[in-house]
Amino acid sequence: MSALLEVSRLNKHFGGLHAVKDVSFTVERGEVIGILGPNGAGKTTVYNLLTGFIAPDAGSTVIFDGRPVLGLAPHRIAGLGISRTFQLCRPFVGLSVMENVIVGGLGPARDRSARLHDRAASLLQRVGLAGKAEVAVEVLSYGDQRRLEIARALAARPALLMLDEPFAGLGSAEIADLSTLIRQLHADEGLTVILIEHKLREFMRLVSRVIALDFGEVIAEGTPEQIVVHPAVIEAYIGRGNEGSVDAA
Amino acid sequence: MFGRRIDRLGVAAFVVFMALLPLVFPGNYLIGVLTVSVIYGIWAVSWDFMSGLTGRENFGHSLFIGVGAYTAGFMNTSFGLNGWWSLPAAMLVAMLFALLIGLPTLRLKGPYFALAMLSGAVIMQRLMLIFWEQTGGEEGINGLEPLIRSQLGFYYFALAALCAITALLALLARSHWGLILRAIKGDEATCQAAGINVTLYKIVSLIISAAFAGAGGAMYAHYQLQVSPQLFAVVTSITIITMVYVGGMGSIYGPVGGAILLVLLTELLRRFGEWRLMIYSVTLILILFFLPNGLIAPIWRRVRATWERRT
Amino acid sequence: MVEILIVGAVSSAIYAMLAVGFTLIFGVARVLNLAHGSFYALGAYGAYFFTSTLKMPLALGALLSVALVAAFGIGVERVLIRPMRKSQLAVLMISLAVALVIEQALFLTFGSEYRNVPAFVDTKFRIGHVDIGGARLLALGVSVVLIGALWLFIQKTRVGSAILAISQDPVAAQYMGIPSDRIFAVVMGLSAALAAAAGILAGPFLTVQPTMWLLPIVKAFAIVVVGGLGSIPGSILAALMLGYAETIVGYTVSTSWTEIVSVLATLLMLVIRPAGIFGRRAAF
Repeated sequence: MSALLEVSRLNKHFGGLHAVKDVSFTVERGEVIGILGPNGAGKTTVYNLLTGFIAPDAGSTVIFDGRPVLGLAPHRIAGLGISRTFQLCRPFVGLSVMENVIVGGLGPARDRSARLHDRAASLLQRVGLAGKAEVAVEVLSYGDQRRLEIARALAARPALLMLDEPFAGLGSAEIADLSTLIRQLHADEGLTVILIEHKLREFMRLVSRVIALDFGEVIAEGTPEQIVVHPAVIEAYIGRGNEGSVDAA
Repeated sequence: MFGRRIDRLGVAAFVVFMALLPLVFPGNYLIGVLTVSVIYGIWAVSWDFMSGLTGRENFGHSLFIGVGAYTAGFMNTSFGLNGWWSLPAAMLVAMLFALLIGLPTLRLKGPYFALAMLSGAVIMQRLMLIFWEQTGGEEGINGLEPLIRSQLGFYYFALAALCAITALLALLARSHWGLILRAIKGDEATCQAAGINVTLYKIVSLIISAAFAGAGGAMYAHYQLQVSPQLFAVVTSITIITMVYVGGMGSIYGPVGGAILLVLLTELLRRFGEWRLMIYSVTLILILFFLPNGLIAPIWRRVRATWERRT
Repeated sequence: MVEILIVGAVSSAIYAMLAVGFTLIFGVARVLNLAHGSFYALGAYGAYFFTSTLKMPLALGALLSVALVAAFGIGVERVLIRPMRKSQLAVLMISLAVALVIEQALFLTFGSEYRNVPAFVDTKFRIGHVDIGGARLLALGVSVVLIGALWLFIQKTRVGSAILAISQDPVAAQYMGIPSDRIFAVVMGLSAALAAAAGILAGPFLTVQPTMWLLPIVKAFAIVVVGGLGSIPGSILAALMLGYAETIVGYTVSTSWTEIVSVLATLLMLVIRPAGIFGRRAAF
């Protein structure tokens, strides 16, 4: 069976800045993999390139589920089965929690109305927001907004879930809860998950494989245990003053 | 809006009130004022559906109104067609214009979209004057035939049209379509990430908005029996936006009340003559400052809440 | 040919004065002030009022008009625009409403007939084979001087540096202790003064009536979009382009098409390259 996501020679220049250099990796179905790297390594840029928000340089190849996706508009790529979250929570302001999740499922892969509503309700249940379905999103705590983001991303029944620093801004107890939630959802929904983080600890428990980025290139790839002792990774982190242990801004 | 009993009662009361008014106070003057207020209601509702829900304020709504009115004017006078053909024709032409101007401008950020639409209306006004030989220039097109000979009859037709259009748009607004539009207002990029074709929804909503604005324009043309470039004026667009602000942006039913209220108020202020527009503009400033959520919709929500507490 | 050269230059100069002020406000406060055209109108009407009704000498009336409009601009910013600054659209609406109020006020005070703003220089000059009105030449000269003075002000003074700093990074500027609100007021006063001066200089040969605010703002917007919002050199360049484009169209096709040139240019630019020629963030 072919890989779910194949990325080859992904490049992006912003003017003179070579932000993403020859990044290549594959993601098999059902995996949970992590993309690790210090701030500015290009992780979110890679996400934006994969999901169509930024156009990659020529010569890059991205194949999702056997289909090339370069050049497609973001909503088309999302419709193929990729859902993503953003680094900063971006709920639909002005809508309730339930409405937020419902909108998540209104893309091309949509269910009919009734089933969508049920699915939204069950998703809220799973992420622990069932009691707050009618609440306006503006008053949610940050941790709850993160959960909402995940519920919303899952409403479209994606094959691939891409999370961008899901633990940023959360306390350790919330991180543990969210981590457990992600693991459960991965198992129950049959998802493939990519996770961006720059904190090592969370990765160790969640992912089976890590791709380490620095200055836009892949510097190492392996299991969490291998990555942690990899010389290039250590240099990227220790060489910049222990960024790996600092919480996200 | 139609789901709850209090809302249905409210709608019924409104329709009955509007229908009975000219019977209780007979006279063509009142019928005329009410007709104009109803047509403004159609324009305001059509604006609210697109701009109120998505938050992409359109400063050039008069473009669609004028285009619809001129279509009616041409069809009736130059082609001698019966007035009833003008309505669908006006809608089609307005929809075409919406497609043409919407495609390039809708991807612009808020203020730029607003000003681009304003520019569009200004261009059209200029063009009507430049091609004065075909369009009648400043004086425009005269001598249209009324759609319905009886003043009262036309008023009821307009009222029915307003109700039908409002009902349709309210239904759309309450449906998933409206939900998507409101989500677009919240965060466009996230909508795209969720698989929603944001551009398509914006354009189709603009087209729908334009269709009814154009229909209103045609109705106005067949009511005034003349069409002039003044229809494209900035003042028209701003007046409509004021009505929507008074009514409550995004509520769909609010702008209807806002339109009728403001037109009636303007008539009451008629003895101030030249001061009317000034009062309008000052009102707009006051509303933007003190009542950003409007007047009508918040009041109705209060009424509804009180009713539901009693029952 | 010479005529087109000079008339084009005059138009460009007037437009540049309007556009530079408009783009300055955007660069510093990130707002599009639609009442900008009203400052232009008020300048012209002020000069008319002081000279015709109060019988003041023109120079005094002109200066007084500019000063009052500048003060008025600062007042409008303080009272009406500043509270709304969180939303660009709200500022758009409020400034448009202010413009309408001013238009109505002018209409109620002065009526809708065209008013006569006297010219500083009434004689015609002969350049090449062509007669050019002294008022137009003066407008050209004064505009160049004023814009040059503004450029010097921004480059050489501390306030000017503050303006540049805020345009580039408003947050950092605040951290550095730059009093943003006071700078906004200064910028507003300067741009209102420039617009008023444009109105006074152009008054003698352009129409003066209550609705005269709309076309300048449409054109200023056009210029600023084409040149790049927030970029003063961009505005000057685009003002030249549009001023000449209009003049050429006016002489070759017909004058009624001139108004459309700028609006069409805006729409085209917005569609093709929304950032304009110099991009959105280019400071002076």
